[in-house]
Amino acid sequence: MDQRYIRNFSIIAHIDHGKSTLADRFLELTGALQAREMEAQVLDAMDLERERGITIKAHPVRLNYTSVSGEQYVLNLIDTPGHVDFGYEVTRSMAACEGALLLVDASQGVEAQTLANAYLAVDNNLDIIPVINKIDLPSAQPEECRRQIEEIIGLDGTGAILASAKEGTGTREILEAIVERFSPPAGSADAPLKALVFDSWYDAYRGVVIVVRVIDGVLRPGSKVRLMASAQDYQVDELGVFSPKALPVQELGVGEVGFVVANIKRVSDARIGDTLTETARQTLEPFPGFKELKPMVFAGLYPVEGHQYSELREALDKLRLNDASFFYEPETSMALGFGFRCGFLGLLHMEIVQERLEREYNMDLVTTAPGVLYRVTTTDGEVHEIDSPAKLPDAGRIAKLEEPVITATILTPSEHVGSILQLCQDKRGVQKKLEYLKSDRVLVTYDLPFNEVVLDFYDRLKTLSRGYASLDYQVTGFWESPLVKMDILVNGEPVDALSIIVHRDAAYERGRAVAAKMRELIPRQMFEVAIQASIGNRVIARESVKALRKNVLAKCYGGDISRKRKLLEKQKEGKKRMKRVGRVEIPQEAFLAVLKVGTE
Amino acid sequence: MTEPLGLYVHIPFCASICNYCNFNRGLFDADLKRRYVGALVEEIRRSDGSPADTIFFGGGTPSLLDPSDVEALIAACRESFSVSADAEVTLEANPDSVTVDRLAGYRQAGVTRVSFGVQSFRDAELLRLGRTHDARGAAEALGMARTAGFDNVSLDLMMWLPGQSPDEWLESVERLIALRPDHASVYMLELYPNAPLREEMARARWTQAPDDDVAHMYLSAMERLERAGLDQYEISNVARPGCTSRHNLKYWSDGEWVGFGCGAHSTRGGARWKNVASTAEYVDLVGRGSPAAIDVRVMSRQEQLEDALFMGLRRSGGVDLPSVGSRYDIDVWSYYGPQLAPYLDEGLLIYDGGALRLSRPGMLLAHEVMMVFISPDVR
Repeated sequence: MDQRYIRNFSIIAHIDHGKSTLADRFLELTGALQAREMEAQVLDAMDLERERGITIKAHPVRLNYTSVSGEQYVLNLIDTPGHVDFGYEVTRSMAACEGALLLVDASQGVEAQTLANAYLAVDNNLDIIPVINKIDLPSAQPEECRRQIEEIIGLDGTGAILASAKEGTGTREILEAIVERFSPPAGSADAPLKALVFDSWYDAYRGVVIVVRVIDGVLRPGSKVRLMASAQDYQVDELGVFSPKALPVQELGVGEVGFVVANIKRVSDARIGDTLTETARQTLEPFPGFKELKPMVFAGLYPVEGHQYSELREALDKLRLNDASFFYEPETSMALGFGFRCGFLGLLHMEIVQERLEREYNMDLVTTAPGVLYRVTTTDGEVHEIDSPAKLPDAGRIAKLEEPVITATILTPSEHVGSILQLCQDKRGVQKKLEYLKSDRVLVTYDLPFNEVVLDFYDRLKTLSRGYASLDYQVTGFWESPLVKMDILVNGEPVDALSIIVHRDAAYERGRAVAAKMRELIPRQMFEVAIQASIGNRVIARESVKALRKNVLAKCYGGDISRKRKLLEKQKEGKKRMKRVGRVEIPQEAFLAVLKVGTE
Repeated sequence: MTEPLGLYVHIPFCASICNYCNFNRGLFDADLKRRYVGALVEEIRRSDGSPADTIFFGGGTPSLLDPSDVEALIAACRESFSVSADAEVTLEANPDSVTVDRLAGYRQAGVTRVSFGVQSFRDAELLRLGRTHDARGAAEALGMARTAGFDNVSLDLMMWLPGQSPDEWLESVERLIALRPDHASVYMLELYPNAPLREEMARARWTQAPDDDVAHMYLSAMERLERAGLDQYEISNVARPGCTSRHNLKYWSDGEWVGFGCGAHSTRGGARWKNVASTAEYVDLVGRGSPAAIDVRVMSRQEQLEDALFMGLRRSGGVDLPSVGSRYDIDVWSYYGPQLAPYLDEGLLIYDGGALRLSRPGMLLAHEVMMVFISPDVR
């Protein structure tokens, strides 16, 4: 197909700013909606994947658009994940585009996520068309939005299109702008094949399905192709596009977007950002920007019932089939028994995996406090990456301890800036930039220890700003820090799953708070339970849960034994959800509650 | 089973509704009572003549029945079951609903044992519970029962009442002892979720004593009662020698009983059932010749075993593992022993190779121990 009539674009938007509604309007106006209705099942499956899928991303959609001047265009709408955990995937999706619509809610204005993604789009040399959506709302302030787009993002706001995706206002104008203002794909049909892999998933029937954007050359069924990063060769079995239903095609040429099935067994063989080329005639340079995705956040996952260990392993194996960015290895905890140390891209990613395990695989899990990847230089000069407090060497063997640092961009209404700065300081942040914008907004940039952000930063930011501040961040490096391992002892026994790595100056306060929280969470037992927080051999806090002395001995009504029994069953059910450590029964939430202290 | 049955007759009427009670009861209505007694007689008459040796009129407030009603009901039991000559026939009574004549009438009708719901000997506490009698009335009721010829009288007391201190509780215990009843029951107030008393407590800022105090209240009361010659034979029950409640012991000894009346529970022949709860529906069902039972459920052997074990633990003498084991064909100790070990170590349980029993501190934590015998999907 003639590449002059192709436009590849994505939509940058903050959550709830109307991205999916606008996409629906596009489908409707280009006549794809009928197909969509016919293929309700296909789309449902997509929605399901979207709801549950690790990428949280929809398939690209190919729209056939006839412009006002009567020309036929193919517009490929490429979705981008909406969460900071998946930042790398966002860059790869953008790399597959020439343009991006910057969608801003006319009543909400520009948010940090929008800003971060707009910068990414600029970095990727995309043409950007600002769209101010929801102008039908009474609270809409399109002129204010226009100003924010200019002032905060630095784009020309005069070309912004006013729209209401809900009412259909501005849809055609946007489509016309896409055709007129976005560049067609460059690239050469005669050059060796070069295609960017920007999504992949596992399909039980077809194996791995990869989604590509052809940069140079042509892809055809039967082609012998190579994935350059993994250096594996395959033969293309099937090519297709999503219209939105999957439609087989006989070729994908320069600038086209579609899917490839080539008997690839594992998603880890077809990683996002890899380049597909011809085996026989390889492109000289792979598409730039490929990165190995590295887990950033780590936590222990343990079955509540020990016998579910092998089931958990199977479930993790299956999840991993479709999610190359997720990592796990067996781990043994004195307290929790056999489980797995798991690595995730971020907290949302962790929650998704956890939820899928519980919902789809019926697992009852105990999750330990998430932590980050520390870098330890031991006295012998070796550098180790530590993903669990349990793996931290003895203090005497540590020459240098470094923690990962993020650069956080926070956009907030100016009235909350004071408390947000305080929060960043409390979290050991270093201020990089503080910009008061004319539109009564403040752009705050901080370097922060990632560990502190993993704890509860986002929740607190939202609380402090009553939901108005938005956050985006990127891991930017490591810094040295006086960190110590804090252990929690229950009846004199260290509970390894409760150990955390904390800053030395905060350890005392944190120890006290954790011990107090544990006292609240551990129910009274037959004997007194002693809780201690310690660093090395030094106890820094202690609490105790007094022994349980009584149950309620109530009258049994006329031989109603079933009622007594139900009561006991209920109590027993409650106990089942606890983990036994030594003789002490500890509720599951206690293993995560270590995180939730010291925040009030 | 060769053991005779216990017969339970439920009387769902009360003169006033207590603010903490959620037993199956409603306000007294003379006409409904008449029809209800008729239905009870009818339901009892459907029985098969099996041996029985206890009858228990529970409520509600059974003492709202006239002696003639009670007589008719006992007569029906005697016609339809083979009731032993020395049967224990208990009637629950409210202290303020009796007179010497009335009590003599019950005795004439065949009642051998009266159980008064005293709850407290402190008027302030009785007022908080919405009880209509006072401490003096309770004492007088016992005297009337004696005058009427009853030599087996039980008094119920409740502890852990709103605003009740340990000393105030022990004051009630002393007053009870001074009256020399033959039997006493001691319960903790159980506040069900929407009890009106909860609201009153919140309004008046009455609180219930902390756990450690309650434990002390229970243990002191039991010691005191025992010193006074009332031996503990069950978690909540004490009696002079020979005056234990034979009817209630059936519940705690894997026995069998049949309940009549609305909401009454039965356990017999490995099955358990419950009658329809509503008084009006009950009268209607029986009147149409239909069974009053809903929820008939055949129990598995496992459930029967578990019930025998956890209910048996309520008795001071405990549950005899070898005999339960031979009844259910299982070595109870080797099956449950490992799970019981922590409780034995803590001194909550005592096992001598025969009976497994709770110590007094163990009785306070009975549920913790009983849970060992509960397997989740047995019902």
